Formats: sequence, C-alpha cells, structure tokens
Amino acid sequence: MTERTVTIASRTGLHARPARLFVEAAAALPVPVSVRLDGGKPVPANSILGVLSLGAAHGAAVTLAAEGPGAEEAVATLADLLSRDLDEA
Amino acid sequence: MLEPAAVRLDAVATGRDDAIRQCGEALLAVGAIDSSYVDSMIQRERSISTYVGEGVAIPHGTLDGKESVRRDALSFVRFPDGVDWDGNLVQVCIGIAAKGDGHIGILSSLARILMDPAQAKTLRETNDAEAVIELLAPVGEDEDE
Repeated sequence: MTERTVTIASRTGLHARPARLFVEAAAALPVPVSVRLDGGKPVPANSILGVLSLGAAHGAAVTLAAEGPGAEEAVATLADLLSRDLDEA
Repeated sequence: MLEPAAVRLDAVATGRDDAIRQCGEALLAVGAIDSSYVDSMIQRERSISTYVGEGVAIPHGTLDGKESVRRDALSFVRFPDGVDWDGNLVQVCIGIAAKGDGHIGILSSLARILMDPAQAKTLRETNDAEAVIELLAPVGEDEDE
C-alpha cells in the first residue's frame, strides 16, 4: 500500500475544475487510487461525486492510497496535481 | 435552501445552455441571485462541465459570479425527456447559488445524496415536489461557512 498525504493547493478547494481535472487524471491511471480526508471514508479518486463529497477546502489535507504495481507512480501523479493551483485564472 | 418556487418538475429545454438558463431563472425567481449570475453559470459550463453522473448536472456560476449571489440557494429543474449535455443525457439540473466558501459544503452534501443510486433515482422520477425538497434538505445544513 502506497499512501501520501497532501494539502489542497487550489484556492477554491477540490471542486469544479480542480475536481474534474483530478478525476480525469485518476481515470487515466492504470491502478485505482482512493482519496480520503483525515479519518474519513476513502472514495475512488476517479468518481466525481466521490471527490465532491469530500468537501475538501483549500488547505485541507487529503490522503491518497493505491496498491500493487504502479501504485507509487499513480499516487505521485495525483499528489503532484493536488499540490498545484488548478483553478482557472 | 430549496424553496417550492425554485422547483420545476416538468421542464423542456432546447439544449444545455437553455437548461442552465432555466435553472438560473428558478434561482432568480426566489431572489437568490441577480440576473447576471445566469450568464456566469453558462460561462462556467463552457469552461468545465458540471455533469456529475446519474443523469444529473449541477450548474453554478464562476468565481466572479459570486458577486451576483444574494444568498445561498438551490434550484431544481427536471427535464423528463432529457437534455443532451455534451453527449450525456441529463434529466435533473440542480442550480447552485453560493456566497463565499459556501459552495464547498453545498457540493459535498449534494454529492453525498447523489452517490446513493436510490436517492438519485427518486430525484429523476418523483412527481412530488415535497419529496425533492425533503431529500435535498440536508444540503448546506450541516456546514458552517
């Protein structure tokens, strides 16, 4: 199991454009990745409803997790995305 | 957040933008927004789709559009014949008006409701406006700004 905790960099939080880009990136990965808030229930990173349900605001810490071959790269790809501001303008 | 006057169960739209406009007009009807917010909702949709699956789209304005929001509110517009939404079929449009950071809590509670396929089905199929209002009642309730 590979896990990494990152802080949401997008200034409006993980919704709309940032959420959409995140979900699309997760769907393109060869392994399933889950995402959860501290102590929260993990949701599939490739589910827009799942990701929106987190209600992850700017500065919130989320934990990405994946298993098996390619897990490390997959988690790193998504962690990198979340640590950038994905908002428009 | 969702008032009876912002619920339409039997709407028809010529396309995506028309459907969004109707969602915006329902928000306008309850005094939650200024009319310029409607354009901002369409602008948002052109930049990124608000389709979330389950035949549901959740149109809302851009960051700049927040100035046109008077108070947090939802609108619910159903298109029984469906609307083509960039290749997806949308039967339910839930318009969102949110001030400040209110959108995070609103989207989160709304997503939790839609993740339950039975609840999403009710929203697509019921003819009871009260049932819709009741189902969406938790939206925005459990969050402080």
